[in-house]
Amino acid sequence: MKADTADGEVKVHLPAGLLGFENYKDYVLLGIAGEEPFFWLQVAEQRDLAFLAISPFQLQPDYAPQVSREDLRSVGLEELAEAFVFNIVTIRGPGQATVNLKGPIVLNRQGRVGKQVIPANAVEFSVQHPLPIAEA
Amino acid sequence: MLILSRKLNESIVIDGRITVRIMRVDGDIVKLGIAAPSEVPVHRQEVYDEIQKSNREALTTASRAVPRLATAAVRGPANPIICRQESQLQPDTERRT
Repeated sequence: MKADTADGEVKVHLPAGLLGFENYKDYVLLGIAGEEPFFWLQVAEQRDLAFLAISPFQLQPDYAPQVSREDLRSVGLEELAEAFVFNIVTIRGPGQATVNLKGPIVLNRQGRVGKQVIPANAVEFSVQHPLPIAEA
Repeated sequence: MLILSRKLNESIVIDGRITVRIMRVDGDIVKLGIAAPSEVPVHRQEVYDEIQKSNREALTTASRAVPRLATAAVRGPANPIICRQESQLQPDTERRT
């Protein structure tokens, strides 16, 4: 699949959608300068609907979700190391945000196909892992 | 919904390859033993519910102010999505140094 969007945007396809949003299967990953390390996962057909996201390894270098071979193969991968992994962030108020480490999204960088997976060791991870927010 | 009665140590078989056995009954706690091929995901319902709820809470409908992380917390490189070439999307493991 060839990216045909503007700079800093990547179209991705999540055939199963996100849990709770099974009808939205096409998204745009959008990075905005100044918002690093965050980026947006926008619903392609309605781009004002969006999820804030972050790469978990920047926060927890030892983050190691056990993603099943079946899940990896469903997006055309053999190893998790080949994937672009990201997690959804919830802004809870001023100075408060959490990241869902329990349900990472695993993306095939080449095919731009991804899936929100439940790792076999999901019990080890919080769905509301607090993010270290800088003091205002 | 199919409803079956089972006694201790009795099982049901699903699709000829998944066996669910009643291992122990202790008051209102039932311990199940599930034997399934490794490619069959088995999770507690709560895990699905939790992630679904989290996704719903995370959805934003307007451009919200993005929080700023404490810089000491971010060990990795800049935003990997702001890139123009596919080749710049390198595996995370390579960037984790």
